[in-house]
Amino acid sequence: MKAISAAVKSVYILMPAAIVMAFLWAPPAQVLGDSSRIMYFHVPIAWVSILAFIVSGIASILFLADRKGSFARLDGIAYNSAEIGLVFTVLTVITGSIWARISWGVFWNWDPRETSIVIILLIYIAYFSIQGAMAHNDNRGRIGSAYLILAMITLPFFAFLVPRIYPSLHPDPIINADRTIFLDDRMRSTLAVAIVSFTVFYCNILHIMNRMMKLQNHIEENRHEAD
Amino acid sequence: MSTAPYSLTGEGLAKKFGRSALFKGICLSAATGESLSITGPNGSGKSTLMKILAGIQKPTAGNVDLVSGSSIEKTQWLSHIGYTGPLVNPYDELTGLENIAFAARPADAGERAGRLLETFGLGPHRDKKVKHYSSGMKQRLKLILAFLNDPPVLMLDEPGMNLDSAGTALLHSYLESVRKEKIIIIATNDPLEEQLCGRTIKLG
Amino acid sequence: MGKDILRNLRKDFLVEFRSRFALNVSASFAAIVTIAISLTAGGVPFPANVQAIILWIIIFFSAMNGLSHIFVREEDQGTALFLRTAVDVDSVFVSKFIFNQAFMAVILAVVTPLYLFFLQVRVVHAAHFIFSIAAGGFSMAAATTILAAMVAKAGGKGSLFTIISFPILLPVLWISVSSTSAALNAAPPAGGSLLFLLAFSGFISVISFLLFRFIWLED
Repeated sequence: MKAISAAVKSVYILMPAAIVMAFLWAPPAQVLGDSSRIMYFHVPIAWVSILAFIVSGIASILFLADRKGSFARLDGIAYNSAEIGLVFTVLTVITGSIWARISWGVFWNWDPRETSIVIILLIYIAYFSIQGAMAHNDNRGRIGSAYLILAMITLPFFAFLVPRIYPSLHPDPIINADRTIFLDDRMRSTLAVAIVSFTVFYCNILHIMNRMMKLQNHIEENRHEAD
Repeated sequence: MSTAPYSLTGEGLAKKFGRSALFKGICLSAATGESLSITGPNGSGKSTLMKILAGIQKPTAGNVDLVSGSSIEKTQWLSHIGYTGPLVNPYDELTGLENIAFAARPADAGERAGRLLETFGLGPHRDKKVKHYSSGMKQRLKLILAFLNDPPVLMLDEPGMNLDSAGTALLHSYLESVRKEKIIIIATNDPLEEQLCGRTIKLG
Repeated sequence: MGKDILRNLRKDFLVEFRSRFALNVSASFAAIVTIAISLTAGGVPFPANVQAIILWIIIFFSAMNGLSHIFVREEDQGTALFLRTAVDVDSVFVSKFIFNQAFMAVILAVVTPLYLFFLQVRVVHAAHFIFSIAAGGFSMAAATTILAAMVAKAGGKGSLFTIISFPILLPVLWISVSSTSAALNAAPPAGGSLLFLLAFSGFISVISFLLFRFIWLED
């Protein structure tokens, strides 16, 4: 536990480094110009929203599989991760549509990745609706987890469907003139640092939320013992 | 269903709802031919304990075991247990007989259903919808539904609820007649029903 | 297990047939929406893809009004515990699944003719149209059976069922709309979409069957 606490604190160095690199060190892209710098935030944020979703799903599977309760509060971890994921998904949509406005002229056009992120957003909304409806219900953990698993298994079907329905405008085909993703070494390393620091940032928030949850449960149990 | 004697044991049973502990450290055991009553003030967890013993709910700590020759898998318990309680409601839209047909598992249940209907005085009302039953008639139907499949274990939560004196007498004489071949567990605050059982567990 | 399923199905059909609540609500909803669209459109026929979209929106919301009833009724009337003691968990799921398929079939049988009648729809590929409707409806009922159980355990509040069903039914709606609109157009029908729907509903039914015990059995 101590080791994790120390490791996630590296975000205090990584995140400023990523910001400085993104604005000052990395060169602007050929076609997109300075506006391409939003990439160093948009891509890591999108990555975190997917990572958070996967972590929620895995925690839910483990929670249902672990009927003996040997791992504490896996449903709580799934919930916390989904909460972070929801915020990052909204941020992905916002940063993405700003970038889309600058480079394509419109905020929204149902490109496959926009569609995918909206689907994840809808799943989160559904998940939090069902969790909200069961505020003081013992079934909450199990039903929420079962829902997330069910929602996750529909994702491969989307992955198959979405590209067939909407053609893509996304930067990997169009960021450079020769229609391939070309990032020079400095852009590449800036993006790598940004992805790592956002991942550590996510781990840091999740860690803090899990500790808060543990303390809250502890306080509630001991309050009962006092009376 | 095997004819080997059954035994039910519970060890260190505890239940917590959120932050408040309902009960803890409950130990009990009963074998075929034995009966047990569970008493305690309202809200002391009688119904919850009954549900835990029937395998409907999970205890927060401890475990329950139902053995007949070998240990029976928990998902199968309810086919060995006749359980009824205030929250087990028959279908209002169906008649008494249709509810019985729904709950009947073995092939000979139909014949026993006829006898039980007569014994508990519901014969003339068998084709009436349950929503037109009085609360006492409903309770009689619930008892019939619990006894219907001739289960080797009977778990009755407040079996005398809403019954008139004739109904109570019928219930008691029925339980008296089957007590040698079954495990009977009753959650009640009625001293008469408590006396019917061999041992008593007090909660709260 | 087979006997348990039959007992529970017989009971569900009896109870549902006596009250007909869910069916009445869904069918009335479908009729009202279809007539409202036809009236406000003033008799002008829509293009094929718009017709397909409207048809599936009507089917989706009509079904949402009724498909959760099968589990919500058990919780509302306090009969869930009785069902629990009388029928084992797998049989409960299978029988409710079959019931919802039957329910969906009735909804489709009401909605589709009404729609064809009021909205001047010209079906080019009749067989393909019928297959699209049937396969889409089957997938819808398959995916929502377990969601109905979740909503029932969560207290069955308002439109929760629609909210949690939508993301999961989205692939079904997508494919059904495009397949139906192909059947209404002169476009050549593609068999791939039916295969997709079958794969989807098969997959989700198996996962639902495995997950159902976590929802139905309490802790």
